[in-house]
Amino acid sequence: MEILAVENLNFSYPLCKSKALEGMSFSVEKGDFVAVCGATGSGKSTLLRMLKRELTPKGDLSGVVKYEGKALSELDDYTSACKIGFVMQRPEQQIVTDKVWHELAFGLENMRVPNAAITRRVSEMACYFGIEEWFEKSVSELSGGQKQLLNLASVMVMQPDILLLDEPTAQLDPIAASDFIATLAKLNRELSLTIIIVEHRLEDVIPVANRLLALGDGRLLEYGDTRGTVEKLRFLPSLLEGMPAAVRLFGRLDNDSPCPLTVREGRHFIEENYGNSVRSLPAVSYAHSTNAALEFNDVFFRYSRELPDVLRGLNIKVYEGEIFCILGGNGSGKTTSLCAAAGLNRIYAGGIRVFGKKLNEYKNNSLYNGCLTLLPQDVQTVFLRNTVREELEDAKAEAYMLPYDLSPLMDKHPYDLSGGEQQLVALAKVLAAKPRLLLLDEPTKGLDAYAKRMIIDIIKKLRSSGITVIAVTHDVEFAAECADRCAMFFRGEITSLGIPSEFFAENSFYTTAANRMTRGYYDGVVTVDDAEKLCRQNGRK
Amino acid sequence: MKDFSDLNPITIFIYFFAVIFVAMFCMNPVILAVSLAGAVCLFMLRNGAKQKRSHAFFFLMFIVMALINPLFYHNGVTVLFVMNDNPVTLEALLYGIAASAMIIAVLYWFRSFSQLMTSDRLLYIFGSVSPKTALIISMSLRFVPLFGTQAKRIDQAQKALGLYKEDNAVDAIRGKGRVFSVMTTWALENGIVTADSMTARGYGTGKRTFYSLYRFSRFDAVLIASSLALFALTMTAAAYGTLDFVFYPAISPPKLTPFAFIAYLSYCVLVFIPVIIEAEERLKWKYLLSKI
Repeated sequence: MEILAVENLNFSYPLCKSKALEGMSFSVEKGDFVAVCGATGSGKSTLLRMLKRELTPKGDLSGVVKYEGKALSELDDYTSACKIGFVMQRPEQQIVTDKVWHELAFGLENMRVPNAAITRRVSEMACYFGIEEWFEKSVSELSGGQKQLLNLASVMVMQPDILLLDEPTAQLDPIAASDFIATLAKLNRELSLTIIIVEHRLEDVIPVANRLLALGDGRLLEYGDTRGTVEKLRFLPSLLEGMPAAVRLFGRLDNDSPCPLTVREGRHFIEENYGNSVRSLPAVSYAHSTNAALEFNDVFFRYSRELPDVLRGLNIKVYEGEIFCILGGNGSGKTTSLCAAAGLNRIYAGGIRVFGKKLNEYKNNSLYNGCLTLLPQDVQTVFLRNTVREELEDAKAEAYMLPYDLSPLMDKHPYDLSGGEQQLVALAKVLAAKPRLLLLDEPTKGLDAYAKRMIIDIIKKLRSSGITVIAVTHDVEFAAECADRCAMFFRGEITSLGIPSEFFAENSFYTTAANRMTRGYYDGVVTVDDAEKLCRQNGRK
Repeated sequence: MKDFSDLNPITIFIYFFAVIFVAMFCMNPVILAVSLAGAVCLFMLRNGAKQKRSHAFFFLMFIVMALINPLFYHNGVTVLFVMNDNPVTLEALLYGIAASAMIIAVLYWFRSFSQLMTSDRLLYIFGSVSPKTALIISMSLRFVPLFGTQAKRIDQAQKALGLYKEDNAVDAIRGKGRVFSVMTTWALENGIVTADSMTARGYGTGKRTFYSLYRFSRFDAVLIASSLALFALTMTAAAYGTLDFVFYPAISPPKLTPFAFIAYLSYCVLVFIPVIIEAEERLKWKYLLSKI
């Protein structure tokens, strides 16, 4: 049964010549799980907002969106608010009230549902989502993943028929993100809830979605069942970049067998089609310089006297001119160690040396001038001005010195930029201090594949200009592609360390999808590039 | 298990209002002694033997406040001794003790009150009067700490960028000013997302209700009725002057008429209601446990 129909939808924002959406027509069946993909600025979010009356932006609109055969504008308030649910990107900002239970009840309060019915629905929802344990907590005590789950639950409590999600996992770490997607799959499977999700990171979404909708420049490129659409899309490099590793490998190899979507299918695809007489690529040797850029010697740190140690006897040595990636779970002390290196967290035992000099020997901000800078996880905290131009002038940054071009963004407000652009402007501001050691906290968080590629290229360029880079990240694919050495953090210590090909080959869970696909068949494969090379060397069976 | 904190917030509110009101406006040694004993009992019952230091502090405060009055106020007929040519009188000393007992008792009542009245419970009381105000309060309770943490993050980020020198006062102040101004932008930006999230869930489609986790049981009704009755009894006696205790110039206690006796008794019951409830529950629980 058709639940949602979009008929010849055109939309342009006020004062904008180009159309944000053009001639869009498609229909969604009840129980469909639709993944929407497309590059930044292709109109994904705009399209999603068109499907929810309350959030439709102002502008020039033609065409019609129908819910169960009725135009959205003809729906009554109750149906429109309850039957179409919407979850946005930022977990923190969507929460309205101060307590978890109150947030769950918020939508039902608006709908004037009697107290007894609210109790029933809220308790049912809390059970289903496993919220009981933190039901009476303040929302500020929750982790990012819990906050987003709360946002989902407080929409679900209104019993929607369609759920619209706008990059819901962009701000979450990979484990919380795949848990979230798994919850969506469960809702879709058990309640036959119709889901339309916009995502950059398709690794987890593609395997559970039954339909894929691709957008490009406000137009509908392809729409259909997932596997078929993916096969058609593999010729578009801009879209292929964000696809799961199996699809990327398939897209590069130009093969006519059906397209693999998951790690399991990818493995099968390789074993079926390619031999393994050549098992590994020639080993790359890596020699670091002998001068240490940053040294931690038995560092201990805790946030306050009552709390446990976050760093327990941490030892790291990062050498000049290398890219060093720190991986690890939430709360393992990654960010804390970065802040300690930047002198923001005062350690209580051990010593930190930056370029051979103790931290406290850097007097009067000399640490932050021409020596070390930290780019925090939330790049919005870096911005203080109203335009990018002012921002750069403020930091005395010279735009022409940068390895990338910011000129099209100069007169925009930093908050209006996309995630990738914000990262670039913040990086420009940080580089203005001419650091020799650059500390990055989650540089790829919330970025699409294109922006991620750009950040990787820039970091590599910075290294070749002599800057040492230390990046804390959850993103294994990023670390595999750009790190010289990787370190795994666990409970405030480093538990393993090595160059990517060895580091990821030894891990069996905490590793890249390409590695998982080829484990035991090829050796030392870390990136899709490696896998592609090996497949080509071995040739078709 | 029904302990005092499980009651409906309105019951708790009315109870504390009744007890504290009497304690604050009745300068009668019996009433004050009962009130002080009840307040300390309730607090200790709820917190156990912890917070010894704060008890010691309150005791010290009690002594100091009791001694200040006779040292500075010399009214009264019974001179105990003369200090620096000023008489120290028994009446002033007793008045000082009574006054500081009142202050300490009220402070202890408020300590228990603030422990019991969490933000959830206060909001419930607001919510039953005006759902809109309650929502605004709830949103601010969420937003104010969020604002604080974000300001701190921005401050740290800016520090690590090294744009402002710390030893230069002008630079430092200018830096803080900028952080504050960008916080306004951030708050507005943040507000748009929150507003979207609210309208998406049907906010603004009409009058809204206010949901709460608290139920109103028969026990609450009984407790409210008895609190108010006991309160009325005590206050009527006080209004008729039955409880008036005269300190100056000479001590003259009120006569112990049957009416006064009833008033004392009813205040005593009122004060010890929570202690009785908690103690009874504990006994019941112990009894049950011994059977299990």
